[in-house]
Amino acid sequence: MAQVELKNLSKKYGKVTAVQNMDLIIPHNQFLVLVGPSGCGKSTTLRMIAGLEEITGGDIFINDEKVNDKDPKDRNVSMVFQNYALYPHMSVEENLGFSLKIAKVKSDEIEKRVTEAVNILGLEDLRSRKPSQLSGGQRQRVAMGRAIVRRPDAFLFDEPLSNLDAKLRTQMRTEIKKLHQKLKTTIIYVTHDQVEAMTLADRIIIMKDGYIEQIGTPIEVFSKPANVFVATFIGSPPMNIFSAEIISSNNQTKIKLDENIYFDCNEDQKNKLQNIKEVYLGIRAEDIMPVDNNLNTGFWSFKKNIDIVEPLGTETQLFITINNKETICRMYNPYEVNVGDELSFQVDPRKVHFFDKESQKTIF
Amino acid sequence: MSKKQFQNILIWTSAIILIILIMTPGLWVVLTAFRPQVDVMAKPPVWIPRNLSFNQFETMLFGGSEGSMGRSPVPVLSYLYNSIVISFTSTFVAVLVGTIGGYGFARHNFKFKNGYFLMIMLTRTIPGISLSLPIFILFSKIGIIDTHFGIILVFVALNIPFTVWLTDGFFRQIPRAMSEVAMTDGCTKLQAFWHIELPLSKSGIASAGIFAFLISWNEYALVSNLARSTDSKTLTVGLMDFTAQFTINWPGMCALAVFIIIPALILTFLVQKHLVSGLTFGGVKG
Ligand SMILES: Nc1ncnc2c1ncn2[C@@H]1O[C@H](COP(=O)(O)OP(=O)(O)OP(=O)(O)O)[C@@H](O)[C@H]1O
Ligand SMILES: [Mg+2]
Repeated sequence: MAQVELKNLSKKYGKVTAVQNMDLIIPHNQFLVLVGPSGCGKSTTLRMIAGLEEITGGDIFINDEKVNDKDPKDRNVSMVFQNYALYPHMSVEENLGFSLKIAKVKSDEIEKRVTEAVNILGLEDLRSRKPSQLSGGQRQRVAMGRAIVRRPDAFLFDEPLSNLDAKLRTQMRTEIKKLHQKLKTTIIYVTHDQVEAMTLADRIIIMKDGYIEQIGTPIEVFSKPANVFVATFIGSPPMNIFSAEIISSNNQTKIKLDENIYFDCNEDQKNKLQNIKEVYLGIRAEDIMPVDNNLNTGFWSFKKNIDIVEPLGTETQLFITINNKETICRMYNPYEVNVGDELSFQVDPRKVHFFDKESQKTIF
Repeated sequence: MSKKQFQNILIWTSAIILIILIMTPGLWVVLTAFRPQVDVMAKPPVWIPRNLSFNQFETMLFGGSEGSMGRSPVPVLSYLYNSIVISFTSTFVAVLVGTIGGYGFARHNFKFKNGYFLMIMLTRTIPGISLSLPIFILFSKIGIIDTHFGIILVFVALNIPFTVWLTDGFFRQIPRAMSEVAMTDGCTKLQAFWHIELPLSKSGIASAGIFAFLISWNEYALVSNLARSTDSKTLTVGLMDFTAQFTINWPGMCALAVFIIIPALILTFLVQKHLVSGLTFGGVKG
């Protein structure tokens, strides 16, 4: 159990800034996920918390104690690495018990705690194997076991599932979630997979170029993205972003997507878009739906020819082109459609996102 | 005969020819050690020995009777003692210092790192023999000529660069994450080194050790200048005791040579599995 706090944390490698003025409080027992594209500073942040990387500026507190200058061993956090980093010359058992041996814990206590971890993770039959004799998933489990045995204040995971195949990844994801519920410990988890982030997190931090772009619950960052970057990063497929003109005449405000597609603004949108000429309009694939029989009242609609059809079983993805931009739509309750067919689509105006053209920040 | 079989035969014959070529001088030395002087000097050479004897070894080790050439026996046991003390001590020190150095180069960044590394390696490009005179003068001035200490010092200096280079390579192969995880597991840097990185690089260290040992054990040119008496003369230098003004006791010399080869052979055999096998880092990659 631990509260981890980052205050104005920065890290520079020479001229490269890896992490920039990060402020963050991670309360007890929270499952926090750091997500972002490659090179955005996720690992660096984690390594600074673990004490493996010196910090350039700011402070780190664990349980209200400043740990800036403490060695990794004195921070009581456990880290699980992407490539597992199991000790190749030790058996599974020895790997699990190593931290306790170093801490000079009595051997019967070590045995007890190793057995406990082995049972939690289903490694009973593998205790005497060497890491080279384990599969990827088993290694992953041993790596987690090594962290558990130590009973740390906080777990740090750096892309622990990225070396596993898709099926195993989903399975381990669920196991990690179960583990968190069982252990009730603070977890800081790094991934660049937004699905992993959404499914595991109590709270998500989206990072880019060393900055925090948004912090929120999975639902918040999905439904109220702070800017274009978050909107396109979270959710799959990425949100469609259109460059749109706002045309006001008389008492009417219209949004122009291309020569043939104009949407009428409702009262609320009209007020909020006053004096704005151009915006980015964001619409998720699932919010552009083919109209099967009749248009819902108040919804926007347009017609387009279909470029590509991708059936996924429960749904079908349709690709259309709007203003030279490839646009993805989703059809639930799919029926047979062919490339080249012209379909009517409808959009729920309450589900669209407006972003400032300059700053790319969310207007509403 | 299939192409594969033909290839196999080709590989084996060339291997055998090569081995014979490499081994012949060695075999000749061994053969000579067991033969009387007349056979050795015979012209044309006697290929198949007519009679073999351990006389030379007896004379060498135990003094023997009024011996083959009527000369007092060579103090082999003193030489052996010198060789052992000098080789083991210098190997131990060189491997200790060299490993620490190799670790430093592999794991730490500091100014002019590449320059230092190059400099250390460049010292090995100087032929040892060209150093013998300066070292001789220096050592006589400070009074460590003809001492174990002086010769050990030379071998340590000679062996450190190679050890640094070899262990640096081995430490580089060990992912950094290994010691990092050990540190989050509660280790100090030193404990992480001791419990994780050292055991993982033991092949490299063993290889470095055997090379350093063989260099010290077999070195002749430098020691022959620095060692003047039984105080510090090693076995290889002792070989020259078998030469007199007009004669050379070939069988005696070869017997000593065999005597020198055997410990080196045994030691190499003991650590050869480390020389051959690399480490498998099963714990790291999936
Ligand atoms: N040792 C280093 N020296 C110099 N620059 C570094 C070093 N380590 C990381 N960086 C830089 O710092 C930035 C952040 O790196 P970091 O490893 O934290 O990214 P990441 O978010 O973990 O990316 P990934 O998803 O690829 O693991 C990158 O631009 C990287 O090039
Ligand atoms: Mg990373």
